[in-house]
This record gives sequence, C-alpha cells and structure tokens, in this order.
Amino acid sequence: MIKEMAKDVANVKERCQEAYQKAVVLQEKLNDAITLVDPSEQLESLPEGGLFHGVPIALKDNVSTKGILTTAGSRILSNYVPVFDAEVVTKLKKEGAVIIAKASMDELAMGGTNLTCYTGPSLNPWDTKRMTGGSSGGSAALVASGVVPMAIGSDTGDSIRKPASFCGIVGVKPTYGRISRYGIIPYASSLDHVGFFTRSIEDACISLQALAGRDDRDMTSSYREVPDYLSLLDSDLTDKKIAIFGNVQDALTNETTKDLFTNLMKQLEKKGAKVDVFHFSEDLMKAMLPTYYLIANCEATSNHSNLDGIRFGVHEKGDSMEEIMTNSRTKGFGLLIRKRFVIGSYGLFEENQEKLFKKAQKVRRLIVDELNECLKEYDCLIAPASNDIAPLLNDTSRDELSDGYLIVENHMVIGNFSGYPSMTVPMGMMDGCPIGVNLTCRAFDEVTMFGIGKAIEDITGYKDLTAEVK
Amino acid sequence: MEYQATIGIEIHCELKTNTKMFSGAPCSFGRKANTCTNEIDLGQPGTMPCVNMEAVAKAIEACTALHLTIDPLVKFDRKNYYYSDLPKGFQITQQFHPIGRDGYIMIHTSEGEKKIRINRIHMEEDTAKQFHLTSKTLLDYNRAGTPLIEIVSEPDMKNGEEAQAYVEALRQTLLYLGVSDVKMEEGSMRCDVNISIAPKGSSTLGTKNEIKNINSISNVGKAIEYEIKRQADLLDRGEEIHQETRRYDDKTGETILMRRKEGTVDYKFFPEPNIVPIRLDEKWIQNIQANMNELPEEREKRYAETYGLSQHDIKILIGNKDMSEFFEEVMKSAKDAKNVCNWLLSDVSGWLNKHGETITTTKLQPQNLAKLIAMIDDGKISSKQAKEVVDDLMEGKDPEEVIKERVLNKSRMLDSLIP
Repeated sequence: MIKEMAKDVANVKERCQEAYQKAVVLQEKLNDAITLVDPSEQLESLPEGGLFHGVPIALKDNVSTKGILTTAGSRILSNYVPVFDAEVVTKLKKEGAVIIAKASMDELAMGGTNLTCYTGPSLNPWDTKRMTGGSSGGSAALVASGVVPMAIGSDTGDSIRKPASFCGIVGVKPTYGRISRYGIIPYASSLDHVGFFTRSIEDACISLQALAGRDDRDMTSSYREVPDYLSLLDSDLTDKKIAIFGNVQDALTNETTKDLFTNLMKQLEKKGAKVDVFHFSEDLMKAMLPTYYLIANCEATSNHSNLDGIRFGVHEKGDSMEEIMTNSRTKGFGLLIRKRFVIGSYGLFEENQEKLFKKAQKVRRLIVDELNECLKEYDCLIAPASNDIAPLLNDTSRDELSDGYLIVENHMVIGNFSGYPSMTVPMGMMDGCPIGVNLTCRAFDEVTMFGIGKAIEDITGYKDLTAEVK
Repeated sequence: MEYQATIGIEIHCELKTNTKMFSGAPCSFGRKANTCTNEIDLGQPGTMPCVNMEAVAKAIEACTALHLTIDPLVKFDRKNYYYSDLPKGFQITQQFHPIGRDGYIMIHTSEGEKKIRINRIHMEEDTAKQFHLTSKTLLDYNRAGTPLIEIVSEPDMKNGEEAQAYVEALRQTLLYLGVSDVKMEEGSMRCDVNISIAPKGSSTLGTKNEIKNINSISNVGKAIEYEIKRQADLLDRGEEIHQETRRYDDKTGETILMRRKEGTVDYKFFPEPNIVPIRLDEKWIQNIQANMNELPEEREKRYAETYGLSQHDIKILIGNKDMSEFFEEVMKSAKDAKNVCNWLLSDVSGWLNKHGETITTTKLQPQNLAKLIAMIDDGKISSKQAKEVVDDLMEGKDPEEVIKERVLNKSRMLDSLIP
C-alpha cells in the first residue's frame, strides 16, 4: 500500500488531507491521538520522491518532534515541545512522510492497556468497548482504522506486538540497535526498541528499510548494512524450521485461540516448514515477568529523573528547588508510574542490588541462553500473542499470578530480553475482534521473519485488514 | 596531646576539549550563560550520550603521566541523585571501571622527596553552575556536560605542606600535558580534601571531615593547617569530631560547616545502558602516549643535561611553564644558560611584577635579551650599563640600538662641550 501511495504523486495533498480529516472524525470515537497535526505546512515543503513520498503517518507521542507537542502520555510533559526531531522523524521526513498525528500511549510507555494516558484511554477500532492494548495503543488504532498505513511505536515489553494483536495488524519490533532510539522518550534503555505498525508485510519491509541504520547519536545503534527487505521478501517455507513456544501453548485456555493456532501450524507444515514444539524451563518462564519488571522499573526510575519541572515540562510551585522538584513529580505522574518508580528505586538501593537488579539481569541472561539454544536449531519461535482478543475496558478479571497471565500474556518480553527481532501478525478473528500470532527470530534476521510473516499473511488472507469503526 | 593527620585529596579537572563529554556542544569558559548547550546537556527527554574520544585521549594522557594502569575497556555508570544543577537526575561517571588505577606522583617538600599514590582516575561530566541570589537561583548550563577527570589520591599526606605540594605537582603535570587549564580560581581545577586526625602513634583513623571547593593552591595548605588545629582543639577539650562537609573561607582563614553527614548517600550506581563498552585499540593508546607533551620531570632532566643549570634554578624555571618556554626561546641565540636564567628570574621577573605583566603579555623579545647578555659577556658594556637599558629592553627595543643611541648622545653632549 505504501509503495502504491508513494508512486501516486498526483494525489498526495488530497490523500494526506483526507487522512487528517479521518483522524479528526475518528478522534471523537476512539480518542487515539494526543495531538492531531494539520499536514498543510508539511505538504508545502515535501522532498522529491522517497519511500514514503506523501504517505500520511502517525507517531507515538514519545517520539520527539521539533515544534510539535510531545507528551509521552504524561501530565508532567503535557506542555513539552521539543527543540529537535528524533532520528526516526528525520529519516521519515527525508523519505517524504507526512505526520498527521501524535498517537495516544500509556503514560511514559509503561503499561499494556493504553488506559493510563493523561488524555484518557484509547479505544479499540474493532469494538470501542475494548482496549487497544498498550503502550503503543493509539498508533495501533490509527493503523487498524485505516487512517494511516504506518505508525511508529515503541516496545519495551510487548508494547507494539500486543496492541498489534488486539487491533489485527502487523506490529514489528526489529533487532535492538537496528533503528536509532535517539529522541524517543525512553522507558527502560536496555529493553527499549523503536518499531512500527502496518497492515501488510510488504509495508513492514518498506518501513524498516526507511527506518533502519546507524545513527552516531545512538551509540547502541548498529553499523550493519540495511538489506533491501522488500526485494528479499520470500515466503517460501521449504526447509524452514519453526519452533512452537511449548510453554505458551500449554498455558492457553481459550479454545478458539488454540484452534486458530493449531490450524495455522498445520498450514505452515503444508507449505513445507518443519514445525516442532520447544519447551523452555517452566521456572524461567514464570520468572519472566518479575525479571522484566525489575530491570524495566530500575532503568525507568533513573531515565525519568530528568522530569523535574525545572528545565521543561509542567512546573509546580515550591519554596526551594527541592520542593519544586518534589511537587512537580508528585502532581505530574500517575499512580502507576509513581508505584513503578518506587519499585525501581528500591531495586537499585545498594543493599538490594545484588538480590534484585543484578539477579534480574542474571535471570535475563539465562532466558536468553535458552532462546539461543532454541534458535540454534530453529529459524523462528512462534506463539499466539495473547490468550484472547482485546479485554473490555472495565475488565479487572486478570489474575496476575496465574500461568495464563505470567506466561501467555507476557512471553513476548523474550524479544526485549534478547533484543532479537519479533513481530505480531494477524492470526484470526473471534467475536468480530482480531487476535495475532507472534514470531521471534535470530538477531538481525528480519528477512527470515518477514518471509515467515508473509507466508502467514498468505495463509490467513489478512492483508490490509481495516476496522470499520462503528 | 600530639596528633597525626591523614589526608587524601580528590581533584576534579575540566579537560580542555573542543566539545562536551557526551554531546557535540562546545566547551568554553566565560561565554554568555546558556549559549554553549544543546538538548543533551539540558537532559531533554530522549537524548542519548555519545562518548567524546578526545576526552578519553586526554584522560589517557593524564593516566600515563601519573603512572596509572589504563583499562582499555572503557565503561560508564550512572550516579543517581536529584539536584537542581544535575539536568538528567544522574551523572554519567566511571564508578566500577575507572580509566586508570594505581599510579603516583612525586612531591618535594622541606622534608625532601615523597611519593604520593593515586588510587584512580575516572572520567565523568560536570554539572550546571548555580548562582544563588537572595530570592532565586540562576542556572547556567554552559558547564553542564564538560568533561572532567577525577583524580583520587591515597591518604598518603600528613600535613598542609605535603597536600599543597601534591596539588601543585598535579597542576604542573596537567598543565604541561595541556589536558586542562588547571585554574583553581576559575574552577577548571577543584580540590576536595579529606582529613582526619588521631593521637600520634595510633593505628586507627579518626573521624573524616571533607573540605570542599578550596579556591587556590596556597589555601589548600592553609585550610588543612586550620582544620588540623580545629580538630586537635576539639579532641583536647574531650569533644567529639562529627563527620562533616566543610568549606574554607579565605577571608577569615577558617573552615565553616556546610552539612553534617548522616550516613552515606546511596547513589544507586548501575552501568549506563546507553553507552556500549568501548574497547580501545592498543595502537591508538600507544600513539597518544608517544605524542604527549614533555612532562615537568622530563624537562628538568633535559635542562640539567642541556644547560647544566642548578636544580634550584631548574625548579624555579619549570615552575613557571611560560617562563621556561621563554627561556628556551632566548637560548636559541644565547650561549650562557646560567646568565639567561639569572636575568629572567631577577631583572625580567622583577620588572614584570612591578608592571603587573607576565612573560606572555610582555613586549620583550627573546633575541633582544640574548643580545644584551652577549654584549655583557663580550665586554662591550658593563653590567651597570645593561641594567640602565632594562626599561627599553622590556618595551621591546633592541639593546644594541639603544646603547648605540646612548653612546652617540653622550658623544654629542661631549662634542658640544668642546669650545
């Protein structure tokens, strides 16, 4: 879709204005944007050509945009206008992309519901009584509802791949270091990835092509050459070895999800893939969520120490610098954020580091070691992205200590622990709502990941799937 | 009672680099407030650090000059604390893997030569500068992110004289290397002194006090002598010494309590996730080491060998780097080093002091000084005559011309006397 749009130079203005208008209309129903950006000005100065020439796009609101409000979904940044563009914005602008929205997100990208944004929850375009998932929920909703063909998200635990499942689209988290993080308001630096949503694998190929590459401002970004993903796209599964994530499959409780997944595996076999079941140590799997929380919260509490109301952001009054900082932070953050900062701070205390923060890093290493074992043998690890379709907005039924929750709802964090490429593709529909399947491949092997993703897309026929918002 | 003092010193030195430690913003002193910063120095969300290799190279020079073992794997850590001068809410430093460990420097005091061990040198970034006014605080972020090295000594010093000699020796070494401006009065070199006293012969250390921000080298000695006396008086009176941070007031010559330390602060150090460890190339390090500026002790040796000057003269000359360099300029056209040295240290220095100038601001030309000395040596003029032309010499005039003129004038005067 992106390729066709970029070629259709004659309709650039009309297309972008239409997308913007559609976003304005849908905002009433979905609340999936924090800022809507009138594209008129950008349309005046579009560069010649480019992979995204005249293609309307959306950015998660933790992507810094020069001169455009960037809140990261938090009250403390609700007046923050950056003086610089994130590297991905620079790249997209160079390719001719037109920004029409800064999308809703969970506050500071923490949370998997998109209910914690300071502007309120963003709603699922397939069923507005349901969540989009988070933290990149607004971006997912804007793509799923057909407003834009691509939106940038960020993924620290599964913040792109979970909402992609709930919104019935492709959600890609490439290898750590593949896309520069410069200018992305962080959550947890060692787990943070920049990624994106599209409605087809081809569009995903083009998007990564445009976004990937070394950036000297992000020391963790890779020097590796960026392959031509689209021309290398090959859905042939002959000799491809696929490992089913056994622990996840075992813990599934939703029969329809089980059936959809089993069926898909059969189809992949039919196409020539060798499909086996791979089991990780159950103990490690149950430790995944606590390990994630510790590392993420420890890094987050440090990363967000700059939000003090002194140089930027919402400034609360106080009699001393210390009081200003305390008041700004107390009023500026939501309850969940403050809770996570406390946990993170606790984990970093000198007397706790050994048994908490450092131990979590050791467990992270063990989990990645097992993943390496798996991927030594297999090209891809596969599992449903969730047990079920998107939860209802008022759903409070989840039991955070059940296997279903610990394993099925959190297994995708393995892609963040390892930094390996991981993506969600639509797998099927239930009660008019989508559910996705997740693939994780070897480091920098996005080509294989897209190939298998394309095979799945061919099987399901879920290409350019768009929700009709009621 | 008699007491013995144990003194350790931490020195922060701003490195003289073109740009900041982790950002591309320029480093400069004395520019208009908040004009030398960018989004990284201001800790804007989403910005990321990028290691300035020029700073790493300068730190390596400092480590080499001070005989430290260099860790070729460069890593950084976060030191987390909230303070209004700290933009990110953490400082990027090297807690766990300092660039250099276990070095030393030789100092000279009235008791002779002594080796002071250096525990570590690590790289870090500077904070913003605060100006506290009566009703508000102003912040200048030009300094934020400036590369620093922190040089941590072992507690090897026992009095103010040794401490002062240590700071002076470090200052001289870093100045010769050219890695820092080392100006204590401008804050490009900052000195924190840790000091404790215990009864003479005691094997346990007393309670440690820290004296911060001493603004000149001579005040290092003064502050320590005051502090030793203050603590001794307390102990003599049977009072307890609290662990305190104090500052030196150079007007009263006293140390003043800033804050009492209630346990140590937990800085929650952890490795900086946005900086990948950098493996330094062995050849790169060697290349830096091979191209370092001459160090004071190397210059001392050379002066002894080349010019045959006395140790005393050499020390004084080298103590003033600019003067020493001027000396070498003069020596390009002079023969007798001893005479040149004497002239520089007596007549020239005297004149400069009297006129409030320095050897770098003076109009004095090195070859002119050489000429004047040659004229004395050749017996063309007397020492007395030479002293008479010092003013002219210092104004940049050629002594030959000046003397010729004077002789001519004299003969004209004599001529006119002849009837």
